[in-house]
Amino acid sequence: MEKVLEVKGLTKQYSKVLAADNVSFDIGEGEIFALIGPNGAGKTTTIRMISTLLTPTSGDALVMGNSIISAPEKVRENITYLPDEAGAYKNMKGIKYLQFMAGLFSSDLEEIKKCVERAKEICQLGDRLNDKIGSYSRGMIRKLLLARAVMTKPKLAILDEPTSGLDVINAIEIRKTIKRLAKEEGMSFLLSSHNMLEIEFVSDRVGIITKGHLMVTGEADELKQRYNAANLEEVFERVVKQNEVH
Amino acid sequence: MKFINLLKKELSELVNLQMFIGLVATVAIFMVLGGVMKTTVDEAVDQSENVTINICDRDKTEFTENIMAAIEELNSDPDSDVKTKIKVVECEGEDYSAILDKNDISSLVIIPEGFTASYDKMEQPELISVSRMTSAATMSNMDIGKEAAIEVIEACISSTIAEDTGMNSEQYKLMQKPVILTENTVVDDKEARIAPGNIMSNIMMQNMMLPIIVFVLIMLTSQMLMTSISNEKIDKTLETLLSAPVSRLSVISAKMLAAAVVALINAAVYMFAFSVFVSGATEEVTETVANAAGVSLTVDQALEQLGLNLVLGDYLLIGLQLFFTIMICLSVSIILGALIDDAKNVQNMLMPIMMCAMVPYIISMFADINELPMIFRVFVYAIPFTHTFTAVPNLMFGNDLLFWGGLVYQIIVFFVCIFFSLRLFMSDKLLTVSLNMGQKSKYKKKNRKNKNQDDEE
Repeated sequence: MEKVLEVKGLTKQYSKVLAADNVSFDIGEGEIFALIGPNGAGKTTTIRMISTLLTPTSGDALVMGNSIISAPEKVRENITYLPDEAGAYKNMKGIKYLQFMAGLFSSDLEEIKKCVERAKEICQLGDRLNDKIGSYSRGMIRKLLLARAVMTKPKLAILDEPTSGLDVINAIEIRKTIKRLAKEEGMSFLLSSHNMLEIEFVSDRVGIITKGHLMVTGEADELKQRYNAANLEEVFERVVKQNEVH
Repeated sequence: MKFINLLKKELSELVNLQMFIGLVATVAIFMVLGGVMKTTVDEAVDQSENVTINICDRDKTEFTENIMAAIEELNSDPDSDVKTKIKVVECEGEDYSAILDKNDISSLVIIPEGFTASYDKMEQPELISVSRMTSAATMSNMDIGKEAAIEVIEACISSTIAEDTGMNSEQYKLMQKPVILTENTVVDDKEARIAPGNIMSNIMMQNMMLPIIVFVLIMLTSQMLMTSISNEKIDKTLETLLSAPVSRLSVISAKMLAAAVVALINAAVYMFAFSVFVSGATEEVTETVANAAGVSLTVDQALEQLGLNLVLGDYLLIGLQLFFTIMICLSVSIILGALIDDAKNVQNMLMPIMMCAMVPYIISMFADINELPMIFRVFVYAIPFTHTFTAVPNLMFGNDLLFWGGLVYQIIVFFVCIFFSLRLFMSDKLLTVSLNMGQKSKYKKKNRKNKNQDDEE
């Protein structure tokens, strides 16, 4: 399986806080990889470094072979990023927002049109796309943003807490969309969440991160076996406790 | 293409119905104000051309009858543009309010009993003046009739004294106006035969507009860019934008350009609205002043003679300085906007810029900055916006060193500000730095709320 993302010893030191410490993992084509950990564990910092928003203190990450340090423009052509609890331009109509975002990835009008059509299909918002985003519910905004994140068929879609704050129905729909896109279109996903049940359902592999350290990576079933746990929550609890002991 | 896409988005965020309504309302308000001022000024001019003198003679002597006759003579001057209406009022007692009401007048001059007797004893006779005040407005309390009556009475007494002392009419005329003043104004090595007061009033009217436009521009550009950056940061749309395949320089350039374009549109509308207001308020007065001064040289001609008129090159230089003023505002706003993590703080963060615009604006309205004590002068000139407010007078009066020094200083300030703002925008700090202004960060509040919810679960 071709590697879409290779993370090699990413470290981020803020003035007094070591937010990410030598984080390394990789993601293959069509794979859904989830970073799980508590608040402040370093998930968002790691994701922001991979998205070229933050510069690592040391280490590197390659997206389709392009370094986030030496070729961030090339990296941004291959990724899309959906921040945690992100909003959209409230005074813009949904359809205009999709057109605007597609226009940042391509200058070809035909290409832009195709992207928007694809987003319309994925978000299933119908005529509501002609309304201003300010009138949308939280679930509708999240669907619109997810559609935006995948409409350009990026090699890697980075989704920070993709279902955070959503009701069960909306959360399920988004999880199904992610799984379908990975399976049918070979799109790779890097997710972050602290919802273990969601991660168990949606991801192919997980990485447990706490206090900036990536403690362990592997398939959910494999980790459950290794830690003799009934579910990922128990795996997480044991890994965190092990970390505290060490 | 991508930059155009970004610029279109920024413009669509800024140009909306609220902005349009705001501009239409501004024009409408200034037009109404201009109309009101024009009506008031017209009334005042009309009042000065149609004088009503209300007078009451309680002394009723030969001397006061002569005074009354002299007042009546004001009507018979065929050369005068002023039409005088004399109303002789009979009144008694000291209930002046009732007297004014009864005669339906707003002012009255009373020659009291004993007026002539005092004069005969060579004592200053008392003259009573009554005026009704109906408001605090300057224009509504103008009473030219009353002043004209007092002038005539004083002239009557003076001429009687002159006659008594054997003075002829020529001597009396000379005593009344002993000199003819020929006023000249000199600027550098140029001179014109005109009173400096007439020049000043014209320059003031010209200079009134630019500071207002500068102030509006500074406030609008700063607020728009700061709101735009802080909103994007708070809604996390900035992170989405910066992770797209566009350079950070394109993102910030599109924001700066859109804010500058919208601010210029606003400034143009404000300029138009204000010119409507000023022309309504000053058109009639300027004409009246020019006639009263009786000068053969018009103020515009005098300005040209004195080299105080601005030529195309001067306007281009003013435009250049205005451009750098806007650019300084925009670059400072990037830094301040990036520090905001709560929309409510935009107004607080606008304060430093507002103060930097207010101080030179107010000082330049009332004083010549060059005449201030050295320490204040240095302080005021250190504010880059000062040089924009003083640009027009500096160019008019040939203070080239001050003008060019100011322009160079603004360019240096701009490069320093843009260096730091771009450094901030290109760095991690754009997403990590914040100034809470004594409040809990919105992010922290949100994270704490989420954490509490998770703990409860």
